Amino acid sequence: MGNPLIHRRIRKTVVGVLIVLILLWTLLPLIWMALSSVFPYQELISERTGHWLPSKPTFKHYISFFDPTQEISSRFLSSLRNSMIIASTTTVVCLFFGSIAAYAIARIHFKFKRTMVMSLMFIRMLPTITLIIPFFIIVNVIDTALLRLFGVGVHLYDSRSLLTILYTSFTLGFVIWVMRGFFITLPVELEDAARIDGLSRFQTVFRIVLPLASNGLIATGVLAFLLAWDEFILALIFTRTEAAETLPLFIAELGSQYIHDFTQISAAGVIACIPPFLLVLLFQKFIISGLTMGGVKG
Amino acid sequence: MLRIAGKELFQKEMTPRQLLTTLILPAILIILVVIVAPIIFAFILSVNRAEPRLGGITLEWRGISNYIHYFFQSDQFWSSVRVTIYFTVVSLIIELLAGTVMALALNERFPARGIVRAIVLIPWAVPTVVNARLWEWIFAGSSFGALNGFLQALGFLPQGKNIVWLGFDIPFAGVPLFGDFFSWMGVTRALNMIILADTWKVTPLVIFLLLAGLQQIPGNLYEVASIDGASGWKKFWNVTYPFLAPIYLVILVLRTMELFRVFDIIYILMQYSIRVVGVFTYEVGMKFLRFGKGSALAFLVALIIFAFTMLYIKIFYKEEI
Repeated sequence: MGNPLIHRRIRKTVVGVLIVLILLWTLLPLIWMALSSVFPYQELISERTGHWLPSKPTFKHYISFFDPTQEISSRFLSSLRNSMIIASTTTVVCLFFGSIAAYAIARIHFKFKRTMVMSLMFIRMLPTITLIIPFFIIVNVIDTALLRLFGVGVHLYDSRSLLTILYTSFTLGFVIWVMRGFFITLPVELEDAARIDGLSRFQTVFRIVLPLASNGLIATGVLAFLLAWDEFILALIFTRTEAAETLPLFIAELGSQYIHDFTQISAAGVIACIPPFLLVLLFQKFIISGLTMGGVKG
Repeated sequence: MLRIAGKELFQKEMTPRQLLTTLILPAILIILVVIVAPIIFAFILSVNRAEPRLGGITLEWRGISNYIHYFFQSDQFWSSVRVTIYFTVVSLIIELLAGTVMALALNERFPARGIVRAIVLIPWAVPTVVNARLWEWIFAGSSFGALNGFLQALGFLPQGKNIVWLGFDIPFAGVPLFGDFFSWMGVTRALNMIILADTWKVTPLVIFLLLAGLQQIPGNLYEVASIDGASGWKKFWNVTYPFLAPIYLVILVLRTMELFRVFDIIYILMQYSIRVVGVFTYEVGMKFLRFGKGSALAFLVALIIFAFTMLYIKIFYKEEI
């Protein structure tokens, strides 16, 4: 223990070994998914010993997903499109209304502010299932009314609009919560200066505050998108056909009672990972600050 | 017309009160419609016997008997609470221990640190459904399962012996006290493997929250501690831990909320055979369509989560929120 040089060398070795283990733990499952997606099916379901690499890699599942002549492709493409549209719309709507509300909560004092912040936190604690049962009944009632008024074809159930509305329910509170943390850290002096320069209060918000908070907006936007991209249970209950089915649901339902073709499931999994991976790698710094804001500043 | 109105809104000098209303009203309206109203409706359902009929529901007043039923008369409810507590506590312990060790390692100096850190965050971005199906495949119980093959290649498993990872064996089944305890908690091998899969996805989040805390510690504090002759463990306890304590609280609160209401990964891998409270509520409410009972269950779950959070804050939090 006395010799600092030996001490340092031990420390370096321990850290080195740990880093290698961390990388293996992180990467091996992902590599296995990528490999599985290019395995020929017969090879994938043979003895694992000695069969870790495909002898003839095949991209047939990736091709079949995007080739309109194949049966699976229409369901896959529509679920990909639905996921994209629903997640982006939810993100934009929540980011806009959530951030201006968060600014108001962070800056302006009003009577029930504390109650409001506390109830935001309480809303975050509610399990999604609490909202699902009432939503299910409300949607049912509205759809019955719509059916009487407009006939077959007009309905909320199994539509992208409905999922967007439902996703807003858990994303908006989250956005307000995280953005409030960002606005608290912004110095008020800049806003005062803008006011002296003759900008109205409203202009100050849109010309000065929101641009200053752009890091926070990016971070929160990415997190909101990931939340919506990841969602499963609402899509499970409120969609039935290609009109609204999302990518997570498509992947969860791939395979049947008898055959689970994991070459196909892996390929779909790889594709579903691409948008979140890109976002995380591009905006890593922002995301970390967003996560710490959302947590610590609460 | 609309454009002029917009311009006026933009340039008009508002009082702080008007500004507040303009900015906050849209969000409040949305929250009222998509959260508050459904919650009130759910509460009304929970004090009724509510069942579906064509285009609506039938309600029959029951008072708090739905709650009383689960709280005092239902073994199923309490066994689902037990298994959820096991899932939550074991996951939390693993996430916190592994997260701390990994964060401390990643905080050291080593080559390509930026790239390594970027890689470590990646599992967190894997969608839950993809994560579930990926591990379903890794855990495949036959000779082509990756985990079986991996363990055989390393010599931890004899050749040709394949373990059904997502099976219902109770850990320590033969051992007197342990076996009884695990079977009482509803623990199965499948549950433990799901904890592993879930930990793989979530630990990066814990690591990065802790790393953010570690970076705030001034380096000279460690030098002072070294001069004072503090050992590694003492340094962690006296220098590092005080900086991380608030982050541990955040992780505890956030993760307990998420873990206790777990649904996706368990439902996708095991359907109704591991009845955590999320799955149980879903089964009662959406499979058997007992809306009243299901809503009562959902509120009970929320109540338990709320109690946990308050407990943490009482124990760990000294400052004002």
